[in-house]
Amino acid sequence: MAHKDRLDALLKCKRLDMVPLYHFMFGFCATNVGYPVASMYNDPQKSFMAQLWTFEQYGIDGGPDYGYASYGGWEFGGEIKFPSSEWQQAPSHGNFVVNSEEDLAKLRLPDVEKAGMLPLAMEFSKLQDKFGKPISIVLGGVFTIAGNICPVEILCRWMIKKPEAAHRLLWLATQHILEVIHHWVNIFGAERVMPNIWEPLAANSMISPKLFQQFVLPYVKEASEKILAMGIKHIYYHICGEQNLNLPYWAQVPMGDPGLVSFGHQVDISTAINYFGDRCIIVGNVDPGVIQSGTPQQVYELCKRCIDKGKRAPRGFMLMSGCEIPPMAPPCNVYMMRKAVDDFGSYD
Amino acid sequence: MEFKQDRMSRQERMQALYNYQKPDRVPIFEDGNFFCMINVGYRLTDLYSNPQRAFDALIWTCEQYGWEPERHCSSAHAVLGTPDFGGRIKSPESIYSQGLSVEETAVQTEDDVWNLKMPDPKTAGVIPIRMEFSKLEEKAGMPVTFLARSPLCSGAEICGVERFCAWMHKKPELCHRLIRMGMNHTLEALQHWVDTFGAGKVYYQMSSPTESNQVISPKHFQEFALPYHREFHKRLRAMGINQFHFHICGEQNLNLPYLARLAASPDGWPHPSILSFGHEVDITNAAQYFPKDIILGNIEPALFQSGTPQPIYELCRKTIEKGKKIPGGFILAPGCGMPPRAPGYNVWMMTKAVHDFGWYD
Amino acid sequence: MASEQRANEVLKGLCDGVVAFDEETVGKFSKAAVEEGVDAYDAITKGLAHGMGKVGELYAAHEYFVPELLLCADALYVGLDILRPHLKRSDSGKSARRIVLGVAEGDVHDIGKNLVKIMFDAAAWEVYDLGKDVPLGSFVEEQQRTNADVVGVSALMATSMLAMPEVTRMIKTRNPNVVVMLGGAPLTREIARSYGADGYADNAGEAVREAVRLVEVIK
Repeated sequence: MAHKDRLDALLKCKRLDMVPLYHFMFGFCATNVGYPVASMYNDPQKSFMAQLWTFEQYGIDGGPDYGYASYGGWEFGGEIKFPSSEWQQAPSHGNFVVNSEEDLAKLRLPDVEKAGMLPLAMEFSKLQDKFGKPISIVLGGVFTIAGNICPVEILCRWMIKKPEAAHRLLWLATQHILEVIHHWVNIFGAERVMPNIWEPLAANSMISPKLFQQFVLPYVKEASEKILAMGIKHIYYHICGEQNLNLPYWAQVPMGDPGLVSFGHQVDISTAINYFGDRCIIVGNVDPGVIQSGTPQQVYELCKRCIDKGKRAPRGFMLMSGCEIPPMAPPCNVYMMRKAVDDFGSYD
Repeated sequence: MEFKQDRMSRQERMQALYNYQKPDRVPIFEDGNFFCMINVGYRLTDLYSNPQRAFDALIWTCEQYGWEPERHCSSAHAVLGTPDFGGRIKSPESIYSQGLSVEETAVQTEDDVWNLKMPDPKTAGVIPIRMEFSKLEEKAGMPVTFLARSPLCSGAEICGVERFCAWMHKKPELCHRLIRMGMNHTLEALQHWVDTFGAGKVYYQMSSPTESNQVISPKHFQEFALPYHREFHKRLRAMGINQFHFHICGEQNLNLPYLARLAASPDGWPHPSILSFGHEVDITNAAQYFPKDIILGNIEPALFQSGTPQPIYELCRKTIEKGKKIPGGFILAPGCGMPPRAPGYNVWMMTKAVHDFGWYD
Repeated sequence: MASEQRANEVLKGLCDGVVAFDEETVGKFSKAAVEEGVDAYDAITKGLAHGMGKVGELYAAHEYFVPELLLCADALYVGLDILRPHLKRSDSGKSARRIVLGVAEGDVHDIGKNLVKIMFDAAAWEVYDLGKDVPLGSFVEEQQRTNADVVGVSALMATSMLAMPEVTRMIKTRNPNVVVMLGGAPLTREIARSYGADGYADNAGEAVREAVRLVEVIK
């Protein structure tokens, strides 16, 4: 099967020839083609081509995509810094626009045509359209966006001491997500748009499942329901980091038919299948730390284990790193993912 | 990577070339193992200190890029003029380094030349490390590589190229002594390989960067290089070594007629040997000079480092089209050591170009 | 001078106040300690720090998470702000331990480092916090300036983790007797060791215990 056909078949629940190899790499693509890492975020043309070429080389199904985890701060009026040193892999906050309740009171929803990275994301999506690729829009999840507008340490305190402030911020994040997706749907049509929503800040290394249930779940559910009501068929959720205690709540979130849900190495694939396998494509979850620092054999073995666990997921499985592959990951380790799929991922 | 399936194994492909038959497709070699080390996440210094890592990096990278690991163009010399004869070298530790560099040459004065002693051919410099590497090659059923400089280059390494160049004019006897000592040391170390593995398994690789016309004239080439090439091959034949790869490095167009006469004579190397050329030598011309040998090359390495993919792909295509017509056989490769930090996609252009244009149908 | 019973009451109040992240209670008992002559050092170590120790256990047991830790820390600092000025000069020698902390160059994720800082503050170490995205040379300079026993470097991103072997080498080249500890999500003990570090902790509570152990070993 051609790469595009494989992903189409998976989304339509048709029989596949082999496990797709999905991507979570930006800076790695830049390094692979000799571009600065920052170009993955500030130059849509370069970002698109770097990914296109790298995916061709490594036989990756799906993509290219555009986005980063610090989404939200710049869009709501803060500052972003693009990666400039050899130790940086993604945009990071320059400042936060909300540092107090007074700041929160002044916060307004941004213009989705002009705010922050959104014009760059639109330019990128037009390239996706031109090249016949799936149209994606990568956004932070409600809690991650909230934690990018306001320092997460303040947000954490508000959840316990000033819950109404936390709710206000989360409500704004939710409305913003809906407005952005609605804008993409208007331009490309609901059938073609697949929102990618990354929620790293809601991990249990940060908040308890109780706070997740009170502060994150209601907004995530609301956003998902409204996104699907726009006519969008599939939502991709990246449930990043240690989120095992949140899984029972995530399982209540509608994600489409099927949805797509990816996990970090902290969530076992078998566990993910138990919670989501009947209605979502499971994606993951090779530890990027091993891809960065392990030997090729270690990566290969780890990929084999992931494939063995995920291959028979009822709605399908795609092998992917559990989070972004670092820009300086040894390329041979990334090749090992391809090799493992070729050796163990066949559906015969 | 949805390429056509190979119809031959790696061994079959190379055997076809050695039999002057057309393989299924143009083989691809890397040049130098530096790129492999970085590709796998190892340090460049590991190439000179950790044979297992060096070997693993080679095998994994060759698999990833579809290169042939057997008879790979090594860049880790078994014999080195500077450390073997008592000078000091520095390992490539900074991100801007690619290979070993000389901190202090073994010879600095005329007296040093006359007082120079022959090193131990089993223990000098990196010889023990390279021996371990060769054992790994043997264990994998591969020919065991032994890379050394040409006699002139060996001699120049002992005292440093600038000093050698000056002495070629002013004190030629010093140059001849150094060349002879360098050559003899190389052959003694090579004998150690023959004794360990048997002559039939040894794949001898010679590089000759200092003989390029960017450094010496064809006149000096005739005086200081050619006679020793002749003698060297005589001694290789006497050892029973019949697998030879000559990396004719850099701008050597003015030397080619002399090398061609040597190659065509009984004093030359066995045929087919693999002859690799830098981008400075057109491969069609090279094939005319050396009709009985396999031509390897010759994409400019700097392009992989600093160029963009499409021009590299185009250059590979053109080179493949020329190379496929070479009667003696052709292997696509960079013209010299692949820069260790060349963008992977640029390097992959060789693979893509071979799979698009390199089939012999 | 408070009676022993009253002193214990104050210490318990401080401890419980920290665990309950109750700034008002901690403030009340801190003032009481000052006014009633409870030794300030004891109030900090046996009251506040003891409370943070319990908080660390609750965190390790996944009963407390980051929001709770931050609020406990806020309560802790209310107490420290009141009690520190009343430490006797001789108390400063009781824990002459100094640590430089920072997030590796290129990385701006500092919550983990901030939690570690809180624990070292609670344990009465002198903490020199360089913040986030710290140029590698700054770790070396600050260690030299403060004569710190320990340098702790954290990273959340796999990319900035690559800076750790270099900063470890730089610190150790200047002063081999300094303890270097590494931490952060992408690390493991094995990776930290391979980077040349002396120690590693996978949570804030563990970091102080590890640092104390390593300083005793190296010194």
